Amino acid sequence: MPVSSLWSRLVLAGLSACLVLFVVGPLLRLLWESSPQSLIEALQDSELQASITLTVLTASMATFLAALLGIPLAYLLARRPFPGRRIVQGIIDLPVVIPHPVAGIALLLFLGRRSPVGGALADLGLEFVSHVPGIVAAMLFVSAPILVSGAREAFRAVDPQLERVARTLGDTGWGAFRRVTLPLAGRGILAASILAWARSVSEFGSIVILTYNPKVASIYIFDRFTAFGLQSAIPAAVILLLVALTVFIMVRVLQPQERA
Amino acid sequence: MIRLDSLHVRVGNFDLRDISLEVPPGGYALIIGPTGSGKTTLLEAVAGHARLQAGRVFMHNDDVTGLPPERRGLGFVYQQYHLFPHLSVRDNIGYGIARSKGAVDGAGRAQRVLELADMLAITALLDRPVQGLSGGEQQRVALARALAPKPSILLLDEPFAAVDAATRQVLRRELRGLHEREGITTLQVTHDFDEALRLGDLVAVLSEGRIAQSGTPEQVFRYPNSAFVARFVGTGNVIAGVVERTPSDDRELAFRGRFRGGGLTLDVVAEREGPMHAVIRPEDIVLSLSPHPDSARNHLEGTVARLERVGPITLVHLDVGRPLIASVTTTSSEEMALHPGVRVVGSLKATAILLV
Repeated sequence: MPVSSLWSRLVLAGLSACLVLFVVGPLLRLLWESSPQSLIEALQDSELQASITLTVLTASMATFLAALLGIPLAYLLARRPFPGRRIVQGIIDLPVVIPHPVAGIALLLFLGRRSPVGGALADLGLEFVSHVPGIVAAMLFVSAPILVSGAREAFRAVDPQLERVARTLGDTGWGAFRRVTLPLAGRGILAASILAWARSVSEFGSIVILTYNPKVASIYIFDRFTAFGLQSAIPAAVILLLVALTVFIMVRVLQPQERA
Repeated sequence: MIRLDSLHVRVGNFDLRDISLEVPPGGYALIIGPTGSGKTTLLEAVAGHARLQAGRVFMHNDDVTGLPPERRGLGFVYQQYHLFPHLSVRDNIGYGIARSKGAVDGAGRAQRVLELADMLAITALLDRPVQGLSGGEQQRVALARALAPKPSILLLDEPFAAVDAATRQVLRRELRGLHEREGITTLQVTHDFDEALRLGDLVAVLSEGRIAQSGTPEQVFRYPNSAFVARFVGTGNVIAGVVERTPSDDRELAFRGRFRGGGLTLDVVAEREGPMHAVIRPEDIVLSLSPHPDSARNHLEGTVARLERVGPITLVHLDVGRPLIASVTTTSSEEMALHPGVRVVGSLKATAILLV
């Protein structure tokens, strides 16, 4: 957008500032509301400790699964033209547009004891509804698209010719991938994984339907809010916010710099 | 030795067809052709990156058609070098050594890297990252990396395209020296015929996915077999026209005839009649200031349009009713006081006109 006059620059700056303040304002207000003492107290609460531990473990498990299944898919999408590539790409992106409670209900129907899949898995001892695997499943559903698209872009940014060079230098296809493409795409994949992890930590809508108990942090905060009111929910909310901010900074540091 | 036997490669809509070529052990062959003629595709097929529709690839008498690139024992230097950006110069050069057949230990590897760095004068760069290297430096590193595992075959894709003219000359000379020292069978792709004349023992001109002509650079340059090759290698003046038999001459092969085209009528020695191109090498036109008495020659009267000095040779751009380029030594150009506007006569033997 060409900027010509002082007036138009002021309008642009004003509108932009409004949105930035709208994002920063509530977060600062929340941080302001808590004191270090209240945070320490909250952290000593065994229920909150348990929910944060559960959140970190389930989000890590979901990210691990998303990486295990998603990185090969991202590579395929970035490098190998195959029939139906666009359709697969679309399917992978689908969870992004589905409202989270809808995803939760769909997962409930798919993984519940009465469905063929959920029933078969339950017979093998893997129960989802109201169990920890349900949390992991919901997190995987919402975070996999983030990991796949991030990893796909990371692979796209690596010149495919480099693998060919490695092949002429005696590497097998796998060796060339492991020694050339993977290290070069590594930062981008790591950034995508952290984002997927953060997305898992922040998930609420589908988990609340699939597995209310045991409570992950987002449900714990919701539970405190509805049962004991706002003041009781604030310390846990601040702790979760700090976790999210830490992750956000890590991703920013890892991602390649935007060009000016 | 590299032998290509009727290769057919398809990449998208492009076909490379009927490619047969043999580079003798230790030979240096160049594939030349304009952009889009399939040169790089051909190298990729030799390297094993492109799938063959038909044909076979032999290296040292072994059929390698079904082998993946890593088992062909060749080095490949790409046009854009493609150095590994996450590795230092040293690790780029050492990359292939660990994976080569007679895998060497760490010390042997370090020794080989040093040896190559020394040969290519890049020892000072070894611990640098590859970002920030100049084009010439990148090219040396890429060459060292390709040579490090001691391949018996080297493939080069326009290796001098991205460096300045001065660096190109130095690198060319070094490459030729290296080739002679290491005795590696080399196949290089270029769009520059000058490079072929300077480097190659053998040249193949590629046009639209087929080999238009192959032979020694000298042969191809002096006796192009088509107007395309003549124009591409810069043999000289190429004029489209028609050959007619002189009525008095009834010999079967190589009869006296007349070529008409481009506003000129020339006596020629032809092998067939009909539409053809006359190729006239600039050095076969003898320039004089007055008509030559020799009747066995074609005489073309015209004026000098422009002089182009190329070192000891001067190219004389003539207007003889159509543009024609003749060459004289710069000394005789000065003796004849040639300058634009001077009227001259160009004499040309009938046998010097190549009909293709």
